[in-house]
Formats: sequence, structure tokens, C-alpha cells
Amino acid sequence: MQYPASIRIVRIPCTGKFDITYALRAFQKGADGVMVVGCKPHECAFETGNFRAEERVKLTKEILDELGIGGDRIEMFFMSAAEATKFVEASNIMFEKINKLGPNPLKASQGK
Amino acid sequence: MADKVKLGMIQLCGCSGCHMSLLDLHEKLLDVLPNLEIVYGPIVADVKEIPEGIDVFLIEGGIRNEHDKHLTEEIREKSKIVVAWGTCAAYGGIPALGNLYSTKNLLNEIYATGSVDNPDEIPEENVPKLLDRVYPVSHIIKVDYTVPGCPPKPEHNASLIMALLEGKEPNILPTKILCDECPRKKKGIHPKELKRTFEGIPDKELCLYEQGYTCLGMATRAGCGAMCPSVNVPCRGCYGKTDAVLDQGAAVANAFASTGDAVLKLSDKVGLFYRFSMADALIPKKVEKKK
Repeated sequence: MQYPASIRIVRIPCTGKFDITYALRAFQKGADGVMVVGCKPHECAFETGNFRAEERVKLTKEILDELGIGGDRIEMFFMSAAEATKFVEASNIMFEKINKLGPNPLKASQGK
Repeated sequence: MADKVKLGMIQLCGCSGCHMSLLDLHEKLLDVLPNLEIVYGPIVADVKEIPEGIDVFLIEGGIRNEHDKHLTEEIREKSKIVVAWGTCAAYGGIPALGNLYSTKNLLNEIYATGSVDNPDEIPEENVPKLLDRVYPVSHIIKVDYTVPGCPPKPEHNASLIMALLEGKEPNILPTKILCDECPRKKKGIHPKELKRTFEGIPDKELCLYEQGYTCLGMATRAGCGAMCPSVNVPCRGCYGKTDAVLDQGAAVANAFASTGDAVLKLSDKVGLFYRFSMADALIPKKVEKKK
């Protein structure tokens, strides 16, 4: 059981801490995709942290579309902290998807 | 004459509005002007060359073309203190919304439509080449002070210039957000629907955002005295971000995301969230798909 080596984990205390700045910063620094992984719906210790993150991810998708980076590059997943298999599965799905989309267009446009 | 502070002023990719706000000092100008010698300022005097040894240089407007870039670099070499004056110089301002279009599209929009006598002729000779986007002054040179505002309030101009005249550190900008000085009552709720400014008449007492208007006060630096919200106009974010955040648009988006589907229905989200700060955003232009 292993997840793709190109994934870098940024730990935040709760997905309620997820800030759209983090996603934009990641893309600015050259990340090809961002996955936000929160607790299962209705299992948030702070009640609405994961829903708040979901709303923010939805809006980030639209912002990324308008900026020409593509909203498909950010995705939200829900799972419990104990579900390692589910995390590996989600990472692989995200990895495949980003692989198909290719590199971050911002990085590509700066590279030339 | 020798004791006077040598002041330079220039407007680059801006509208000269910041210069106008200096005039809005009215009688206070009489305190300020005798201590100044304006040695360069295309708006008030016809000086062709930027003289050496300028004490304070106020740059208004962002950097749009190669000539702007050249001038800013020359200004930095010849002046002791450079101030990014106004939101355009600090964060790009309204002209930076052009960053959402490619330079080619922008030129075509102006020169290749039927509204000109010679369509499809884009002037190239004797005009400076456009850069790929609008840059804030701080991206090109080191800036000593930043005074945002569209335009900066005359009091801010006065306290900046007075402080610099006295050789003190100007400390004029509040670090809090606009809501902090907005007199409206807040309930701590999020609106279910968002409205355009012309839809309905807002209540005079309650928070404009909570009434569903796209007020950007929660991500905008205080300092203007909540001029717009006091007269029922939602804040558009002209004072730019606070020191605590990296990106004004993202800070607005974080708050607006809590309205759920309402914000997703808005058109031109980037244009709303980054109205005055596109050039200084984390992703400062629309990324063109490579061919």
C-alpha cells in the first residue's frame, strides 16, 4: 500500500483552516494539483470545518477556471483519519487525473 | 532654497487622481508647499529629464510598458525615498484588470475594431512596447513606503509628506480591516443570496454584506473611514489587502465562500475579488493556454 511519491502533505489542524490562499500559493509555487482531505461529512470535531472547506474548494475551482489554471486541478475528498486504504485510493485517483491534465499551465508559461 | 525637500512626482499607468487628491488638501497645502520644491512632475511642470538627487519621489500608477519600467528604474537610482503612491502603484489598481486578457487581445480590442479609421493597424513605431501585464512598482524596484487608496485620502498624503519633511518614519496606515471602522451593525450571518449594487435599496443601519451586497470590507485595509459603506455603497476594496494576508482576492473569497451557492452564481468572480489588486495577486494574470 503506497501513495504516489510526488504528493507533498501539508498538515492543517482541520480542513476548516483551509484557506483559498493556500491553494493559490501552491499553484503559484508550481504545484500541478491540490487535494483537500477532510473528515467524513457530519464527523467534523468542530461540526462544520469540512463543509466550510468544501464550499471554499468549490469557489476555488471557479476562480482557477477564470484564471486559466483549470478548476479540475483542485479536489475535495472526505475520509476518516483511520482509513488509510481510502486515502491511498483517493491519492491514486487524483494522481491519474493530474497526470492526464499535464503540468500546471502557470509553470509552463513561466518556463518559456 | 537649499533646505527645501526636493519632490518628484509622476503618473505611470494611473489616472492622475492621486495628484488630484494632493490638491484636495486645500488650506493644508499652504503648510506643506513652502517646504517643498517640486523638481519633477509632468503634471505640473514641463521638465524633460529627471534631475539627480531627489529626496522624495511619489510614483503613481503601475508599470504597463517598457517606458514605465525604464522610468521607475531611473527614479530609483536618482531618489532617496520612493513611495508607491495610490493603489495602482501599490497593487495594480483598476488598470491591472487588463491582466485577465492577453496583451494581444487588448490591443486588438482597441485598434482592430470598427471604431477606428484604420482598423488592424496596431501602432508599433515610436511607442513603448507593452509588458505582458501590469506590475506593481514594488515588483520592479525597491519601494520605501506604500500608500494605498484610490485615491489615498488627502490626510494620508499630508501625514506622509509631513513625516518625510520632518525626517520621521511615516506611520499612517491602520493594519485592521475596513469592517473595524465601518459603523454598520453586524449580526455575524452570511447572506443566502448576493445582489448587484443597483438591486433594491440597502438598509442604512445593517452590514451591507449581510444584506447580500458584494461588500469587500472584510478583506480591505481600513483608513478611508468607511466612506463608501457610510453612504450605502458596498466597499470595492480600493485600499488593498491588510498586512496579515498575502492575497486580497483569496481573503474575500474565503468569506464569500460561506454563502454557498450564491457566490458560485456570480459572474466575473476574479474581477470582483481582485478589482484593485490583480497585479499583486498570487496568480497575477490569466494564464494563457499554450498552443
